[in-house]
Amino acid sequence: MPRVADGAGPGAAATPAAIEVPGTVLESLPNALYRVQLETEARPQVVAHVSGAAALRRILPGEGVVVELLAYDSGRGRIVRRRF
Amino acid sequence: MSVQKSWAELQKMHRACRIVVDTLGALAEAAAPGVSTRELDRIARERIEREGARPAFLGYRGYPATLCISVNDEVVHGIPGERRLEEGDIVGLDLGCVVDGFYGDAARTVGVGRVSDEARRLMGVTEEALRAGIAACRPGQRVGDIGHAVQTHAEASGYSVVREFVGHGIGTSLHEEPQVPNYGPPGRRQRLVPGMCLAIEPMVNVGGPAVRVLEDGWTAVTVDGSLSAHFELSVAVTEEGPWILSEPYPYGRERQSHA
Repeated sequence: MPRVADGAGPGAAATPAAIEVPGTVLESLPNALYRVQLETEARPQVVAHVSGAAALRRILPGEGVVVELLAYDSGRGRIVRRRF
Repeated sequence: MSVQKSWAELQKMHRACRIVVDTLGALAEAAAPGVSTRELDRIARERIEREGARPAFLGYRGYPATLCISVNDEVVHGIPGERRLEEGDIVGLDLGCVVDGFYGDAARTVGVGRVSDEARRLMGVTEEALRAGIAACRPGQRVGDIGHAVQTHAEASGYSVVREFVGHGIGTSLHEEPQVPNYGPPGRRQRLVPGMCLAIEPMVNVGGPAVRVLEDGWTAVTVDGSLSAHFELSVAVTEEGPWILSEPYPYGRERQSHA
């Protein structure tokens, strides 16, 4: 009897649904964290860490970024790329 | 990580798998036009209990029967019932039992009477894909090598492999780690070590790989309605190579340890 695959299907490797929202960096915090003002109303601000690719250059306050939020609210986000 | 089994434990696995495969043989002979799927389930249950074993699927996550019977476009997990087999059907028979605390799990797909050339080819390719996967079960290889071998064979024949269901480790539970997908790149996933037991089970469709589960919560069918076949064997990884647990240990009697 086959087992039901976790996160069934190819490429669905256990990643919970994430949404990407645009925002603007407000301030740089310790530990490579940033406070980001989001352009969505539900959660106006989040603290976000930076994904690998986006971390190659330091992010400065005032820069536009795209933040990934997990569907369940962890209170944190992840900056996945810059927005120009 | 799958638990490594001792030689003594592998003997128990062998016993459970032997009962399952023998019973599947009897079911294959009984699968004739006009026979209901419930009748096959009854035969399976009686035979398993006569051997002193217990059905492994009955009650597993609420599954209501001993046998899974998946006809034509049904992929896996078909529930036995009033349906009567017809000439030309292909019937997936999936069965498991537990004896002395250890599980055996195997499946095969058989034709009822004369079947179409396409159906016969599908069954042949699926069984070959299983054999290709088993051949990859050597220490030092990885779980991904199994799926890669299965997928390569099935797709070279123009068919597709199902993604939503996977093979699995087996032992003192029906489903143990690791998952054994029937697709994916080689060289990935867990490394195979002697004493691991895996149920390898390609599900191959004539059409696309997509499947959906019916309202009964179990029966998986192909989305495009195409035929699907399913073959499964439980295999132990040994230092000498794969041991299909329903068969005698193939590497000589003197070897008493796999480690």
